[in-house]
Amino acid sequence: MFKAIVSADTLTDALDSVSVLVDECKIRLNEEEFSIRAVDPANVGMVDLSLDAAAFESYEADGGVIGVNLGRLQDIAGMANSGDLIRFELDEETRKLHIGIDGLSYTLALIDPDSIRQEPDIPELDLPAQIVLEGNQLDRGITAADMVSDHISLRVDEGSEAFYIEAEGDTDDVDLELTSEDLIDLTAGPADSLFSLDYLKDMNKAIPKATEVTVDLGEEFPVKLHYEFAEGLGHVTYMLAPRIQSE
Amino acid sequence: MRLSEFIEYEANERAERRRLAAKKSYEILDRLEGVDDQFADVADDGAFGSVSPSIFVGRAGYPEVSTGLLSPVGNEADAAQFATSGEWYTEGVSIGDVFERRTSLLNASQSTPVETNVHDAWNGFLGVQREVAIADRPVGVEVGLDGTPELDVGLSPGDVSTPTGPRARANEATLTENPHVPRPVEKTLEDDDWAATGAMNYLYGRGFDVYEINTILSAGALGQQDNRRLVPTRWSITAVDDTIGQFLRGKQRSAPSVDTVQVFHNEYLGNSFWMILAPGQWEFELVEFKAPGSVWNPDPEAGIWLASDYEGKSGRTSYVDQTAGAYYAARLAVLEHLDAIGRQAKALVLRHVSDEYWGPVGVWQVREAIRHAFDGERGESETFDAAIRGIVDRLPVSMAQLRRQSTLAAGRQSGLDAFL
Repeated sequence: MFKAIVSADTLTDALDSVSVLVDECKIRLNEEEFSIRAVDPANVGMVDLSLDAAAFESYEADGGVIGVNLGRLQDIAGMANSGDLIRFELDEETRKLHIGIDGLSYTLALIDPDSIRQEPDIPELDLPAQIVLEGNQLDRGITAADMVSDHISLRVDEGSEAFYIEAEGDTDDVDLELTSEDLIDLTAGPADSLFSLDYLKDMNKAIPKATEVTVDLGEEFPVKLHYEFAEGLGHVTYMLAPRIQSE
Repeated sequence: MRLSEFIEYEANERAERRRLAAKKSYEILDRLEGVDDQFADVADDGAFGSVSPSIFVGRAGYPEVSTGLLSPVGNEADAAQFATSGEWYTEGVSIGDVFERRTSLLNASQSTPVETNVHDAWNGFLGVQREVAIADRPVGVEVGLDGTPELDVGLSPGDVSTPTGPRARANEATLTENPHVPRPVEKTLEDDDWAATGAMNYLYGRGFDVYEINTILSAGALGQQDNRRLVPTRWSITAVDDTIGQFLRGKQRSAPSVDTVQVFHNEYLGNSFWMILAPGQWEFELVEFKAPGSVWNPDPEAGIWLASDYEGKSGRTSYVDQTAGAYYAARLAVLEHLDAIGRQAKALVLRHVSDEYWGPVGVWQVREAIRHAFDGERGESETFDAAIRGIVDRLPVSMAQLRRQSTLAAGRQSGLDAFL
């Protein structure tokens, strides 16, 4: 059983954060929350999303799992104007999802969840450094790095208590220094890892610029990017595997 | 009065050949032994009988393409060796030999709009050309020419390509024998509902090398009926390398990875190749170092010229920016090796072009040198990083420069599963 009403903006934010990594996903319709966990086909980037029942105008669910084509669902959500409400009702018999937007009704065929890639296990990581910054600070570093290279280094200098976003290209360099004064918060620790910009750019696209982003970082370890949306009722954690230099 | 009367200077043979190549001067052939003006007879009466081992579709003037029959006039007995193939490597041909062979082929050509559907072109010049393309041995032809052959080595600094022989406009062409066409080629020819990629992969699977497949593709003799077009030779080579490469790559998607870091090396025609294969999911990169004085970097005072292109696990969605056809030829050779051992790997190919590479011979040289490198000795290394450090000493760049240029040298993509 699944019956819910949600604002178009909240739904779009949720779907965008997942669609940067995968085309299809499983959605868990738990009693308390709506959640998605997915990993890209290369097993390099992962997303873990949850949206509390309270983020919906109304929400009733009993723990079912549905499989959806994200592009299709985004297209439908795109039919709504900002501020519109979107209604969902799952037809258990036909395995179709009825979607209503202001007089428009759309019946979406679902995908057998068993045919979708298994949800990933989340690595337990003990990451020594934590940086809290604004989405637009991260965006600035990523955008500049993308001008010179296809990979980016994220680093914390324990001595100077600063976070660095750096890129070395064929000829040009980019270096963004964010001191503890520029940042919302910094827990310094040994942290220096290199990441593919292809992935980080996509994740960055989904991160709202005005939001607070928490970055957990280690040495040649995956990075965790965490942020909230829907007034704190939606949570997204990205995890991205590094490019390794030492092995 | 010449400057040389006043200044003593050492004539540099390589520099002179390069200068002539850049000027598109046919004088370059005087500097290669054994190239005679064997086309003098042809020019007199405008018609000749010969054999044709291959065809050439030129891209100059696209969307009009020049489509030609290649004939080694006067060397009919050895006609097969004039067609580019992997055997050139085993034969050990030199750059001069390549120029000699290429320029010994008279290109009797006509101009045709590229949108011409050649699905049913069995008559006239296009028909003869197609028969030559699908035959597996040189075919006897008689060609009528309109005018005298014009020499055009076809080299210029902005558009480096392999030389082609003298060209003459053809009035007509006829076959003087029934061409021998292998059964699988007939099959792909007759099935006009079969998409070109599938047909190419089928031929490859039946033991045809990319050289044969690209000639067939070039003549528009495979693919779905509506899509059968002439394809300029240079583009068809890359199309076939890319198609077969993706096919092999698909087969390896779930293959286990190599378990050690391995290094292979080969040298051929002034080019040095190092291949590093390392454990992990497929990534591929070609990095080229072109020495000052080599064909693409002719100014002896210029620094080393670096170029690279990369793909990750999901492959490329666009044509490469910097390394052109060499990328696809190198990738094919690496994938063939991985296919043979049933593994996948991260693969870095480093190509150093020395100033001894004075004339471009074509990407077959890259493909064959790398193919044969895997038959040779291999080195093993503890880590990818150590392997690169070992090779950098023999390259004209520092580790820092290489890291800047090469995505793989900078860092290899790990998977999240490695951290579970």
